[in-house]
Amino acid sequence: MAIEVYRIDDRLVHGQVVVGWGQPLALGFLVLVDDQVAASDWERDLYRMGVPPEMAVYFESVESALSHLAEYRQLPDPGLLLTGGTATMRSLVERDPAITRVNVGGLHHRAGRSPRLRYVFLDAGEESDLRAIGARGVDVTAQDVPGADPVPLDELLARSGG
Amino acid sequence: MTPPRSLPPGTWLHVFARLFAVQGSYNYEAMIGNGIAYAAEPAFRLLPGGRDGEAYRAAMARHSRYFNAHPYLAALAVGALVRAELEGEQPDRVERFRTACCGPLGAAGDRLVWAGWLPFCSALALLAYGLGASAAGVLFVFVGTYNVGHVALRAWGLRAGYREGLKVASALASPVLRTGPLHVARALAAVAGAALPLVLLRLSGAPLRPFGLALGAAALLAVALTRWQARVDGWRVGVALLLLFFLYSVVR
Repeated sequence: MAIEVYRIDDRLVHGQVVVGWGQPLALGFLVLVDDQVAASDWERDLYRMGVPPEMAVYFESVESALSHLAEYRQLPDPGLLLTGGTATMRSLVERDPAITRVNVGGLHHRAGRSPRLRYVFLDAGEESDLRAIGARGVDVTAQDVPGADPVPLDELLARSGG
Repeated sequence: MTPPRSLPPGTWLHVFARLFAVQGSYNYEAMIGNGIAYAAEPAFRLLPGGRDGEAYRAAMARHSRYFNAHPYLAALAVGALVRAELEGEQPDRVERFRTACCGPLGAAGDRLVWAGWLPFCSALALLAYGLGASAAGVLFVFVGTYNVGHVALRAWGLRAGYREGLKVASALASPVLRTGPLHVARALAAVAGAALPLVLLRLSGAPLRPFGLALGAAALLAVALTRWQARVDGWRVGVALLLLFFLYSVVR
């Protein structure tokens, strides 16, 4: 099975991921790509606690993810890859042409970010990252849960409020 | 692990009391972030410089940001965050902890409270009604039991969070959260199984003896299904029962 979803979500592992996407897609594993989480025992322990026992979770840095993605795509169950920000996803997309779709699942309010959707707030750097990802032919949409309508990148960036 | 510094009892009481208002300023931008800062604020007054100090202002700004978790288990986060700030943890590390604990606290709280304790208390109130309690008695059973649970959970969370600090994953592995939902679900099934027929009996005003016989037969069937659950399909049992009713109506 493939990695079904490549998701950007600053909350990383949480209910929308493990239940909202996990149940309808019958996800068997998550790949969490974050350099700092991959190097931190207590963060890995915490994120593991948010994942149900029947779902595996793998922690990778950007470098290790790039070398293991082909193996994850061979696993029998469908999976979801998560990054906490646009820059990490951009690094993956630029070096792995097999990523053809990116889901913006949640980037929340923070100083310097402006609202685009109820669950997407972007600063200039993040907007630039998303444009760069889209410019490579990757289909970028914002969608928090599977039941919601996906919002295409152009429409997302044209919006100025939630 | 070095034990955390002890806090004055008044500070604990203030923080604990404010946990009940953690959803008071809920909004989409910060979720319960403002509530987290409000709950932890009495402890932040102990930071160097007190309420006028830079550390206090920085901590309040940090913790007023986006945070989303189960409102009762947010106590665990508040305890851990208070300890982290008082021990002068790096702001970046504190930020990462806030991000990391949202998911696990939300998932654990949903399983234990919304899917476990709340339905259990409802079933207990139904049982009280079935056993003949007055309206006030039913209300007392529900509100009393539910409040005992969530107050105890908040108190445990605050204490465990402060004790473990950023290594709060070990508190999340506690039996309260790992096996608690399973025990509560079993208790819920038992109480609901006893309550529903008693409620029906009280509502219908039916004579006790035939109702008791039907209840006994249903209990025997339930025990049998439990024993054979790996070998019997639900639809087969349903079809068999329909056939029995059909034969009974023909013979009768």
